[in-house]
Amino acid sequence: MIYTGILVTLAGFAIAVASLGLTSSVNARLLIVVLGLAVSLFGIIGVINKAYLKNAIWRKQS
Amino acid sequence: MKRFILLIAVLALASVAGFGQTPAAAPPAPAAPLTTNDVKNIDTPSAADRLKGDPGGALTGTVGDVAVGDAKKGLTVADAINQIGQNKVAINFTWTLITGFLVMFMQAGFAIVETGLCRAKNANHTMMMNFMVYGVGMLAYWLIGFSIQMGGVGGIANLGGIPSLNTEWAITLFGKPFGLFGQHGIFLTQGGTYDVGVMVIFLFQMVFMDTALTIVTGSAAERWKYAAFIVSSFVLGAFIYPLFGNWAWGGGWLANLGGNFGLGKGYCDFAGSGVVHAVGGLSALALSLIVGPRLGKYTRQGKPNAIIGHDIVIVLTGCFILAFGWFGFNPGSTLGASGNGNLRIGSIAVNTMLAGMAGGFGSMLYMWMRYGKPDASMSGNGLLAGLVAITAPSGFVNTVGACIIGLIAGVLVCLSVEFVDKVMKVDDPVGAISVHGTNGLWGVLSVGLFADGKSNYGGSWNGVTGSVTGLFYGDASQLVAQLIGIATLVGLVFTMTFVANLVIDAVIGQRVGAKAELEGLDLPEMGQLGYPEFELKARTAGA
Repeated sequence: MIYTGILVTLAGFAIAVASLGLTSSVNARLLIVVLGLAVSLFGIIGVINKAYLKNAIWRKQS
Repeated sequence: MKRFILLIAVLALASVAGFGQTPAAAPPAPAAPLTTNDVKNIDTPSAADRLKGDPGGALTGTVGDVAVGDAKKGLTVADAINQIGQNKVAINFTWTLITGFLVMFMQAGFAIVETGLCRAKNANHTMMMNFMVYGVGMLAYWLIGFSIQMGGVGGIANLGGIPSLNTEWAITLFGKPFGLFGQHGIFLTQGGTYDVGVMVIFLFQMVFMDTALTIVTGSAAERWKYAAFIVSSFVLGAFIYPLFGNWAWGGGWLANLGGNFGLGKGYCDFAGSGVVHAVGGLSALALSLIVGPRLGKYTRQGKPNAIIGHDIVIVLTGCFILAFGWFGFNPGSTLGASGNGNLRIGSIAVNTMLAGMAGGFGSMLYMWMRYGKPDASMSGNGLLAGLVAITAPSGFVNTVGACIIGLIAGVLVCLSVEFVDKVMKVDDPVGAISVHGTNGLWGVLSVGLFADGKSNYGGSWNGVTGSVTGLFYGDASQLVAQLIGIATLVGLVFTMTFVANLVIDAVIGQRVGAKAELEGLDLPEMGQLGYPEFELKARTAGA
């Protein structure tokens, strides 16, 4: 799960940078970059953090 | 009596009208060109006068103090012009160095803020991390970090040019060069970098880098293995921070988004909301995920417990020290006080203090309304959040923009702390992720919104003619450049620091054992208690 999260987070960055080559429209670039940012945030909060929460230390406390 | 008052009023009106009717002064006659003879004929104070002393200061610093290039020729126009040039650079050197010294002192502020927010049983460990991160980061930066970050910046006019920092390694993407890292400046000797200007920019950039490193020590405090801290800090200071620093400040690809892709003036981060604070805050998040929460921070149901710090007095004192140091952070980032629009330092300093004030108010009022009390530690974090957020836009916005940015930061830090603590269940003892990460990103974004197009640092920024202008003042493309910077921080910088710390975790382990954590890290990790004469009692969950 953690490695998947790393890939998703990196993919978000790649989408944002790809906006530079895909279009020269400011509005279109804005949308693509925001999409990339959302993907990266999902990778961190939705995948990596979730993976750590599954085995969190407080779940094992007596 | 009435007549007398009337007379006075008439006289006053007449005088005002008189001022208004003063004829415009005739334009001055064109000045004759300065010749060497003019320079030679300037009177100097006599030796007899100088022997009497100079209590008024009028005799000290005159033509006699101008350095002469050739004693046989005496003082020439060239000597005078050279002295003017050297004075300009000397002013800028002095400004940059002194503001750098202020930023260095912020390490003390961070140290006591973090230590005060941690428990007394970890005081020595937390202080030692903050103390030694200065040396570890400096070593890493001197060895290679500075070269990566600034080795291809291509000259800094305010500091005399510095032509030797001129080699940037780049790839071509979408038909444009993407500068990735610099190649001059290893050991501050390689590639002609044994140079007075290079030394000034090294010192200034080094203390900035160290600020980013010390942010991480707060989020991982009270359970971070000291050896892992040393290695992790070295990697961040040698490679990860300098890479993003290069892209934003060292002539790299983010700075050139304007010139290469028509996005405003490129990624603009005046003093480092992104380069310093977001890099530090996102690294703090990566490390907090890896080391996990402190024992007792969450119940088995995942409900967070408050683990109270041991000294709010030093926390708020540290916040004041940081606010003081921020006058070096932001105004110092002009890298000069003379020439190239650098007199804007006054505006930058005022923006800085206003945003800090607004941030403190924002947090205090939010906590007061939500929880019934004006929380002291969150008020301090609100001040810091406002300062973090204004760091990127401080050179480009007006005072109203600065207050709005700071106020939003003050509320945002409270919301972010709640989100990190309750939703993500990530343990951050000092709120570093929210103060520096969340608000660092907000600061970067706010440039793209609030930059008012009035600043003018020599007529261009990042090589693009004109002033930095945000969406609210008519340039949406600047917002896109800022968002690409944010996407890089979140998507790439976070990943780099996360992977690096995963490797360190696999090799030497990031977290101390449970026994040491419960006992407090002072003895197991450092061999000495922070407060040996105190009897420490367990009063809070996980204590």
